[in-house]
Amino acid sequence: MSASALLEVRDLSAHYGRVHALKPTSLLVNEGEIVTILGPNGAGKTTLLRAMLRLTPSTGQVFFKGKDITGLSTHRRAEEGIIMVQEGRGLFGQMSVRENLTLGAYTQPSGTMSMDDRLDKVFALFPRLKERINQIAGSLSGGEQQMVAVGRALMAEPKLLILDEPSLGLAPRVATEIIETLGALNRKGLGILLVEQKAPLALKLAKRVYVLSLGRIAAELPATDIKSHHDLAQYYLH
Amino acid sequence: MITLTQLIQSLVTGVGVGLIYGLVGIGFCVIYNASGIVNFAQGVFVMLGGMICHAILSKFGMPMLLAALLSIPIVAISGILIEVLVVRPMWNRGAALFAIILATLATQIMIERITILTLGDQPRSFPEFTLGGPLKIGDIAIGYQYFWIMGCGALMVGLLWLFFTRTTMGRALRACSQNRESAALLGIPVSRMLMVSFALSAALGAVAGILVTPTQFTAYNVGTPFGVNGFIAAIIGGFGNAAGALAGGILLGILQALAIVIFGAGFKNVAALTVLLLVLFIFPSGIFAGLKGKSH
Repeated sequence: MSASALLEVRDLSAHYGRVHALKPTSLLVNEGEIVTILGPNGAGKTTLLRAMLRLTPSTGQVFFKGKDITGLSTHRRAEEGIIMVQEGRGLFGQMSVRENLTLGAYTQPSGTMSMDDRLDKVFALFPRLKERINQIAGSLSGGEQQMVAVGRALMAEPKLLILDEPSLGLAPRVATEIIETLGALNRKGLGILLVEQKAPLALKLAKRVYVLSLGRIAAELPATDIKSHHDLAQYYLH
Repeated sequence: MITLTQLIQSLVTGVGVGLIYGLVGIGFCVIYNASGIVNFAQGVFVMLGGMICHAILSKFGMPMLLAALLSIPIVAISGILIEVLVVRPMWNRGAALFAIILATLATQIMIERITILTLGDQPRSFPEFTLGGPLKIGDIAIGYQYFWIMGCGALMVGLLWLFFTRTTMGRALRACSQNRESAALLGIPVSRMLMVSFALSAALGAVAGILVTPTQFTAYNVGTPFGVNGFIAAIIGGFGNAAGALAGGILLGILQALAIVIFGAGFKNVAALTVLLLVLFIFPSGIFAGLKGKSH
């Protein structure tokens, strides 16, 4: 295992009934790195994330900061510092923005920082949420909901932030805003694993890219090399 | 023809009994929201509340308040035991929800049999919390216990509201009811929340049982009618909606009380089931379904 490995997945494999949705897959995210997983619809991206977080039964091993967390349940993995923003945001739509955000800090000991200070950190990144604090989360626009989802994840002080298609369904301007925020967080040292179907924006941030196809890793390459692969560039950059 | 006095008296007793149904109905909702499970052993908590309180009163001669305060955690522990011994093993093995629901029904029958073996099959009761009465206002006579039921029922609803909106655990329970995967991804231990929901539901049932026993009696088999009426209250309110279950319980209680006065005691359950059918025909998701989640 690499000395700076934050997350290491070894031979993770998952089935949906008889369908082998994820063939043995290994990947690595280093400390402070942004890694992107690209792949067309149905490639197994979400299955890979669900298996990593133990939302879907799987075989294989998962290590986090050198510790074998294969046997840990989903909520224990969150306690370790792996926080995921699901595709579709996974907000508690009938609860207020404030309630959604404060639940993000569920794993955080109450003595370390006041809830208001935690909220202020999120508002510094997404000032619009401060105006929406008492609004029911389900009534927000798609972009604002994504901000709540990312903000809620940040309330947990993650060591690794995983995002499943965060720009899906968002206006380009909002998607850019969120991706730029992720870039700023990464510059402060946060490890990020970003899953996208088509992601010219994400590729500007990422250091390395895994290309997933038909449930297996088809390629691993530096993000800058995507341009030199004609087929990949055609598909993922346009 | 029903007189005004009878109408007012029916309304008061109906609201009192309806609050009891409402508490049982909320108990159904709390577990259902946390897990999707309909706990058919819910009525057994009402029975246990009355029986255990009676046993403490008769065996140890404790004051009523102390006996009640001791009974509630004992019944809450019984709820935890059902979750740990019956529900969780099936849940962890990925059993179908209907199988778990059937197991809770089997648990109700088993607890009833254990109660017969340990405490006997004779009905029993204990005195009203405030002796004397009833309170007479003109021709209207209202037992003091109904004021206790209404007061404690309102207090319980207020405490539940505070719990669900002001405490981290309450918010976490609501989060589980809306999206269990998202809750787990934030570090909320969903299976522990299921245990909390069983304890809370059992405590609500115990309060209902302790409050209602002085107005009638308790016995090993009173859980079934309270369970059924609480279930109907929850359905009327839109299953999973706690405020709806409370309103549904009060509506059901009033209609039953009116049916008794107008048609006779034999029509009490006919009224309840007619209301259920009518509600389901007109509002298939319950009268208050649109309020789900905003009202905890």
